[in-house]
Amino acid sequence: MVNGFYPQNLDEALDLLSKHDVVPYAGGTDLMVQDKPNQTYLFVGKLPELRNISEDDEYVRIGAAVTFTEALASPLVPQFMKEAVSRIAAPAIRNAGTFGGNLGNGSAKADSVLVEYATGAKICVASVRGERVIPVERFYKGRKELDLAPDELILEVLLPKLGIDDYYYHKVGGRQALAISRVSFGGLLSVEDGVITRFTCAFGAVSGTVLRYPDLEAQLVGRTVEEARGASEKVIASYAERMQLTRGRVSAEYRKDVCLNLLGDFLASKGI
Amino acid sequence: MHNISRSVTKKDHEPKMSGRSVYVGDVDMHGCLFGKLLRSKYARAKVLGVRLPELPEGYTYVDRTDVPGDNNVNIVMDDTPVFARETVEYVGEPIGMVCGPDEGVCQDIVDRIEVDYEELEPMLDLRKADEVFFNYEYGKGDLDAAFAGADKVYDEEFQTGYQEQAYLETQGMMAVPEEGGRMFVHGSMQCAYYVHGAVMRVLNCGPADVHIHQDVTGGGFGGKEAFPSILACQVAVAAHKCQKPVRVVFSRREDLEFTSKRHPSLCHYKAAVKDGKVTAMDIDVKFNGGAYTTLSAVVLQRGIICANGVYNVPNLHVHGRALKTNTTPTGAYRGFGAPQTYFAVEMLMDHIARDLGVDSIEFKRQNLVKKGDATSTSGLYHFDVPLPEMLAEVDQASDLLRKHKEYSKPQTGRFRRGIGFSWHFHGAGFTGSGERDMIKAVARLHKYKDGTVEVLASNGEIGQGLRTTFPKIVAHELNLPLEKVFYDHPDTSRVPDSGPTVASRSLMVVGELLRRAAIKLRNEWEDGKDQIVEERFKEPDFMIPFYLDKFQGDAYPDYAWGAQAIEVEVDTLTGQAKILGAYASFDVGTPIDYNIVMGQMEGGFLQGIGYASIEHMNYDDKGRIRNNTFSDYLIPTTVDVPNLNVQLHVREFPDGPYGAKGAGEVPLVGAPGAYVEAIEQALGGKVSLEHAPFTAEDTIKALAEEDA
Amino acid sequence: MSDISFTLNGRPVSYGGSATDRLLDVLRDTFDCKSVKCGCKEGECGACSVLMDGKLINSCCVAMGATQGSDIVTLEGFRTTERYKVLDKVFAQFSAVQCGFCTPGMVMAAESVLAQNPHPTEDEVREGMSGNLCRCTGYNAIVNAVLAAAKEGNGLW
Repeated sequence: MVNGFYPQNLDEALDLLSKHDVVPYAGGTDLMVQDKPNQTYLFVGKLPELRNISEDDEYVRIGAAVTFTEALASPLVPQFMKEAVSRIAAPAIRNAGTFGGNLGNGSAKADSVLVEYATGAKICVASVRGERVIPVERFYKGRKELDLAPDELILEVLLPKLGIDDYYYHKVGGRQALAISRVSFGGLLSVEDGVITRFTCAFGAVSGTVLRYPDLEAQLVGRTVEEARGASEKVIASYAERMQLTRGRVSAEYRKDVCLNLLGDFLASKGI
Repeated sequence: MHNISRSVTKKDHEPKMSGRSVYVGDVDMHGCLFGKLLRSKYARAKVLGVRLPELPEGYTYVDRTDVPGDNNVNIVMDDTPVFARETVEYVGEPIGMVCGPDEGVCQDIVDRIEVDYEELEPMLDLRKADEVFFNYEYGKGDLDAAFAGADKVYDEEFQTGYQEQAYLETQGMMAVPEEGGRMFVHGSMQCAYYVHGAVMRVLNCGPADVHIHQDVTGGGFGGKEAFPSILACQVAVAAHKCQKPVRVVFSRREDLEFTSKRHPSLCHYKAAVKDGKVTAMDIDVKFNGGAYTTLSAVVLQRGIICANGVYNVPNLHVHGRALKTNTTPTGAYRGFGAPQTYFAVEMLMDHIARDLGVDSIEFKRQNLVKKGDATSTSGLYHFDVPLPEMLAEVDQASDLLRKHKEYSKPQTGRFRRGIGFSWHFHGAGFTGSGERDMIKAVARLHKYKDGTVEVLASNGEIGQGLRTTFPKIVAHELNLPLEKVFYDHPDTSRVPDSGPTVASRSLMVVGELLRRAAIKLRNEWEDGKDQIVEERFKEPDFMIPFYLDKFQGDAYPDYAWGAQAIEVEVDTLTGQAKILGAYASFDVGTPIDYNIVMGQMEGGFLQGIGYASIEHMNYDDKGRIRNNTFSDYLIPTTVDVPNLNVQLHVREFPDGPYGAKGAGEVPLVGAPGAYVEAIEQALGGKVSLEHAPFTAEDTIKALAEEDA
Repeated sequence: MSDISFTLNGRPVSYGGSATDRLLDVLRDTFDCKSVKCGCKEGECGACSVLMDGKLINSCCVAMGATQGSDIVTLEGFRTTERYKVLDKVFAQFSAVQCGFCTPGMVMAAESVLAQNPHPTEDEVREGMSGNLCRCTGYNAIVNAVLAAAKEGNGLW
């Protein structure tokens, strides 16, 4: 066969990946648009080890070759993730596109990756040398730059289960379907006994990677909702100061305005 | 409704539904060559030299030196080169073509060709552009007196952007050298005889040495009016040189970047108002024509003739210019210059009303033209103007008048609503004396011995239903079942020149010729005999002759009318606008097939909504169009609108078949005014919106301005 | 390794070209399935929609290697079915076909919508067909036809 390898199991796939200059191919929806016919593909879309959705106490584990459509049908996948992937392109793309592909493409516009940032997900990768589990924000080193060695394959996404049911999510595309994100925003805020225990905000499609600012998030953690309400303007201003947006077809100014508007709305929706 | 309006199964339904229709891209290419164009990288440059890599056996490079005749494509004028001359005038201008048996290899060769350029300063700014392609001026009344006596004078500038036709089938054309030296060109097109004339000139041969056939065509919307003539000339020259069939089918990127699209515009309006009436308008219209003239003359004519909208403006001065910039030549797109000026005048009327503190719909109604009024060009509205009834119909469907008042109250909160209203006419058929003096349409019916009848005309089925509606007319007059009458895609070797498939004219003008021809055939009918009848265009005798040099007279015999309301909900956090409802009443006279006409109305209306909202395209400081993929140039999907609420108002045109008028364009033309007015209302009406498309980004900017 | 084997419209077939070739091109050029149209080659228009293992996909975004062992159905295969007859009838009734270029993809998308949900609402039809662009119709006729097919074809889906 020309330009393709068909491993039957994960070990075989990792072995091939360690020996050949190949590009892992799962759903193809990004790779085929790149149109590089001289590559050799490692077809991993049917590998059983990459096709599972399972859970343990801490995580929902979504295999890299699970498609968005499959995730939408799974009772295990949290609503936050389902809402984000339900807005990806259109049914035909969701039928083929995968979680691993969304990550491997390295784009900050990837809708599932936004949720992974917002929830503090981890990415499990494997090679013949063994497995590694990497927090998603470290997996992305920069625009189209991943912490993924040439012999490594994305195995699964470890999506934290707790505290993500009460999410805030909004995607801004150019239209209602077949739309690449111009801005995406995901937020989580947990309150226990009147005190904020968790505050995270992730911004997609605004920079080389999805953006999160842990130090800015820390401004609200440990405060009461009332204190936070008093600080909300300062918090939004701190994001305004920090966020540096990359240029795009749609202006950086617009996208930044929308980010801050959504952040403000998120806080307001929590009474802050 | 007339019984001819009853819908039938379209004649081309089966082959299209089952996927059996053969578009030019579906032709078996065994033994044929593919062509790939070498295009300019610069907006303006001297081409000093083209250095070819060594060409493999079977591959050929074609350029202007291979053109047997004149290296100019005949459109309205002859300035568009087949292949670039010494200088290139826009990014993407074809310099040459590589032909060969493998498409990928052709592209690879094109990528390896080195072109030496001497870059020249391009003109990219419509405001600064100083090379005037076309310059028209007309008026009536006493402008100075009207402005001097005005209660108030308004002064505003409006802007519209590109719109790409975005037909689903990209441009494609194939040339096949036939025995005896004849050249056969077929492909995706609207106007077989335009292509015929252009190819003849380029190949330097007579009418019988070339024949053109329209293949099944996957949408046109004006985009396949003039552009196919250019591509046809290129493939014809290539096939002539290679002496083999050559086909070029564009990629979507090529099509979006390098084919004609709607003219961006800049319209400056000055209006005088006295006692609640608009008494004068002084209008300056600029259209960005791109690098060559193509159809800019006629697009501009139509645009300036309706620049005062549907309003009775007794004192009028209109100045229109089409200007050259070093960008892709713009051209025909459904509406043909009218959407730009209608947008401007509808927004202006809205803004004046707001300033006067009156309801804009009422203000528009008070200034509306009626039967017997003079047109902008001192012709006459010979027939009833049905717009007041159509407004009532739209109101009935949408609750427009109540909502319009309700939404004008101050709104707070994240989501805010607005409803906008606009109305317009679309002049049916060619502008001015074009039908009489230039087109001179001829149509024939061929009755075969077995009693079947073939329609012989040059108008192309491009989705608008001509293969069904022409036979319906003929079958109706001949009392034949529809199966007995058929209409194929035209081939210039078989059909007379009944004119191009443009200007909403085919059904109204050629349909009427066919109706008359059918009556003639009915009267002459002899069973078992082969018979041909012919009819020629005659101008209706009520018309006031139109003089283009003065822009005086009846520019059109009659008008199609449109009234539409669009209701939106704006998300003030993101600027996104959701369309809650889109309502319209269109008068295109008698529908020759209800479903077909409704399909035209709904499809055109949605294109207008796209134009107003999300269809943004622009070029950068190098003159490159960046919105060159379907992920960057966005057209509406199924989920961007609810079911469009369209109804037909029938006010017949006595000289159209059974009272039918031009239908194709009218549904697009008015949508931008209604949409942007709706956004303006949702935003609180404090900022005057002056451009289309009006995107989510524009909304956020406008909100910031309001706050400031 | 041997050729890529898959089922096309019910028949086993094999392909000896590159695994990176596009399914769209191979369907059209090697297997003469010309109903499958190329509108953009980027998964942004749906004109090349086919069914792969029962699911709607854009054939422009599938590499041949990924079809190994799969079941592909194009309109050439689907048009022989009873379900097609129902869609054919309602598309004709509503004059839902204009230029025809998006039609094969639309038909496959309609089949996919109804196969998953035999009695969809208008919103569900619109969502299910949202990857298929049509520039001619404004979508009313197509959406209404699919809703009518759901009624007409009771029991077939």
